[in-house]
Amino acid sequence: MNDTLPLGIDATLIGTEFDSSTSKPVTAADIQEYAASLGETYAGYFGPDPVAPPTFCMKFRGNRFSHPSIPAEAFRRGFDAGKDIHFGVPIRPGDTIHTSNVLHEVYEKTGRSGSMVFVVSRQLMTNQRGEMVATIDNRFMLRPEGDK
Amino acid sequence: MILDLHAHSKKSEDSRATVVGYLQWLLKKKDVLPIDGLVLTEHRQFDADSDYRHLEDEYGIRIFKGSEVETDYGHVLVYGVNDAMLERFDFSNVRLNAQELITDVEELGGIAVPCHPGRPTVGLCEHYRNKPPLEGVRAVELLNGGSRKGENERVEELVKKYRYGAIGGSDSHLVSFIGICATEFPREVSDEEDLVRALREGGFRALDFRDRLKGP
Repeated sequence: MNDTLPLGIDATLIGTEFDSSTSKPVTAADIQEYAASLGETYAGYFGPDPVAPPTFCMKFRGNRFSHPSIPAEAFRRGFDAGKDIHFGVPIRPGDTIHTSNVLHEVYEKTGRSGSMVFVVSRQLMTNQRGEMVATIDNRFMLRPEGDK
Repeated sequence: MILDLHAHSKKSEDSRATVVGYLQWLLKKKDVLPIDGLVLTEHRQFDADSDYRHLEDEYGIRIFKGSEVETDYGHVLVYGVNDAMLERFDFSNVRLNAQELITDVEELGGIAVPCHPGRPTVGLCEHYRNKPPLEGVRAVELLNGGSRKGENERVEELVKKYRYGAIGGSDSHLVSFIGICATEFPREVSDEEDLVRALREGGFRALDFRDRLKGP
């Protein structure tokens, strides 16, 4: 691997944590409110001991979107390029969700519109028992400086 | 034998297609997509680890592996990838020297074929407007399933002018796009090395099946 990645990012930063946080205990009301906002009708989301819809994990964002070594102005030349979510155990009332954000990958590619750099921040979510709740790869596309 | 020479599986970061999904789709659509095999050309890498032989046996469709790399003349498909090529070139480098790639891949037992040449920025046509033509190109991808209107048409002129061979590939990133463009060879192709031989021999032609999928 090269020592320096696109955008001048130090390759040794790959895999390093740049943010972590732990949520307050999830309540049944939190889950019910979320499910209702999605228009869900599945009874399991609304009973006294509900299970959260899979995408409930998206509520736990942490404090930073990306590694601080990536200059903020770079994000002004890009956009959210989607996310991949690998779901683990469901979230239930009483769970506290620990989120660890790591710089997962930085790579460059070329397309019709020119050069693009993709920064992938990985959110690793676990519950109070250490069980994996979700792994989310947030992909952001940035234009290298000088590209239109 | 008809092969889709350009397809991406979920091993490429921008594809969600599984190989099993491709095979199931081709089986389901065999009346309109007479594809005998496909080549997985993952972006900027060579997938040496995956073994699809059990799927070939189960579905009766050949699965070969190649790569799609990025160069100063646009994207290029590499067939017959071997250890010597992987040592010679860093496939993840998006600024590979196209002339070195074409020349050296040929010497190392493979063949490099510029793909979607009609595409802006990443196609050969645009680069030929400002730079000298590459030496040693045997074929280009005349039909690319991901091309927009007018992009494949530009390639026809390129093929005529330089007398390149013409291949077809779906450039599929989604299951339902597999096999929409392909290449017909005048003989059977047994493996990746034989695919290189077949491409060097010539006599193949690009096929477009998109009209067949539209239905009556």
